[in-house]
Amino acid sequence: MRILAIDTATSASSVALGEGDQLVAMSVRVDRRGHGGFLVPAIDFAFSSADWKPRDIDVIAVDVGPGLFTGIRAGISTAQAIAAAIGAPLVTVSSLTALAVRAATGHRRIWPVVDIRRGQYATRPFRPFPGGVAPDGPAEIVSAEGLRSLIESDADDTLIVGDTAGFPATVMRGLHRTKIGRPRYPSADVLLEIGAIKADRGDLVRPEDVRPLYMREPDAQINWSDFREEGVWPGAAE
Amino acid sequence: MSNPLILGIETSCDETGVAVVRGHEVLASVLSSQVDAHARFGGVVPEVAARAHVEAIRPMAHLALRQAGVHSDQLDAVAATRGPGLVGALMVGYSFAKALAWTLETPFIGVDHMEGHLFAPRLEHNEFEPPAVVLLASGGHSQIVHVRSWGTYEVLGSTIDDAAGEAFDKIARFMGLGFPGGPAIDRAASDGDPTIVKFPRALRDRPYDFSFSGLKTSVVTFLEKAKASNTVPPLPDVAAAVQEAIVDVLVDKTFNAVEATGVDRVAGGGGVLANRRLRARLQDQADRRGVALHLPSPALCTDNGAMIAAAGEFRLERGDLTPWDIDVSSSLRLADL
Ligand SMILES: [Zn+2]
Repeated sequence: MRILAIDTATSASSVALGEGDQLVAMSVRVDRRGHGGFLVPAIDFAFSSADWKPRDIDVIAVDVGPGLFTGIRAGISTAQAIAAAIGAPLVTVSSLTALAVRAATGHRRIWPVVDIRRGQYATRPFRPFPGGVAPDGPAEIVSAEGLRSLIESDADDTLIVGDTAGFPATVMRGLHRTKIGRPRYPSADVLLEIGAIKADRGDLVRPEDVRPLYMREPDAQINWSDFREEGVWPGAAE
Repeated sequence: MSNPLILGIETSCDETGVAVVRGHEVLASVLSSQVDAHARFGGVVPEVAARAHVEAIRPMAHLALRQAGVHSDQLDAVAATRGPGLVGALMVGYSFAKALAWTLETPFIGVDHMEGHLFAPRLEHNEFEPPAVVLLASGGHSQIVHVRSWGTYEVLGSTIDDAAGEAFDKIARFMGLGFPGGPAIDRAASDGDPTIVKFPRALRDRPYDFSFSGLKTSVVTFLEKAKASNTVPPLPDVAAAVQEAIVDVLVDKTFNAVEATGVDRVAGGGGVLANRRLRARLQDQADRRGVALHLPSPALCTDNGAMIAAAGEFRLERGDLTPWDIDVSSSLRLADL
């Protein structure tokens, strides 16, 4: 089974090709903007490195978030178009799962963290088991301080991975049973591993059914006239 | 390549438009409008727009191809709006189009949205050729463009504040008419008497530029005073007076440009050009001056995929293909093409 994996959900963008979960070609770039300029050149590069054609692909794995909204949509639109053109199904992967899978070693409960901007972080606890991880609680949006509270109330030893660079310097100080580790970002090679498992299970999605995992409502920009919402002829619209 | 088969994708604002065009013939043009999603905000919310595009793009592309009776393998090129517009919204259609073109090993063209509007009249008026003056007016843009030849554009005038469609939206909202404001005011004004009040026509001293924020303020002031003194005129009359103020300015400045450039063709594009009063007044002026007027039908005035395919065809013929590493741009300018 040949897999194309696309991950543009965070500041790191990556594309990978795999024969099952075995990495064949990969391209990575770290830049919180410009996912749209990276993707197709990276895909083109990976395919020519592997000497594959688009129609060789059996399934496309895509990171649907949480993360940077515009990046997530660039990745999904790209995956949808390729999938539609070659008639391949998709598998969707959460950025939090991708981080946890890569971090899974030892016994610690894993708390992957994705920076979704404005001081907010997406997180979800995962329990490692031999050969994988399993979600061990709900996904949540928290501040750095909120994450600290979650970690403090966790009775087990914990491992925080992901993009913690934006945390205030002292926020994690004094947490003795907690380690902060790698990776910082999810990446497409991990998507190959997860994608291969999901595809084997038949956990496939049609291109039109893929939805981003935003975990935050849009901020509505309220217009000039909002405070006069009643209007001069209220209900004239009906 | 004569009469290439082109898929055009437009997602710069709040319409997910996909079309299949062969030469100048529109084989299919479908639209997923987000009006309802934005109505409660009284304007287009960028993040709401981007979210709706990503849900609509794949179904719309599928629908357009099916209606056209075309398989994606038959396409000669894929074109998508590169800008100007909302970055998050542009990114959806542009990424989809680029990846589709790459997969199909077919040329890709990133199209300037405004150039798309300039080509829209061609889809119905084969004889429309430069030199011409084109009035572009919508919720996001208001410009008068001198099309010297295809590909050579001089922007003679622009709005210095609100776009014409934005003025319609804001005023309609204040009047309680809902969103989008242009069609609401057009309907409300049907039997109105525009002479009951004369709202100001701004920037008389600048022949081609627009300003609409003063109009908004003066409508609000007028209505608040009228309300306080219990003399609020009938809604249709006020709607007609507002419409007349906007239309007057658009028509006057367009024909200022016609006079100055000496062209004998006028065209229009953008959602505001669907306004019935504006269309009638432009036609009246064109007839009086003996110049040809080429207005797209309302469905091709508002944003759509067909105009992007039409501009894409011109760029394809010229060999102006867009490299894979070029990203969307919110601030493209016609004059730089
Ligand atoms: Zn437009």
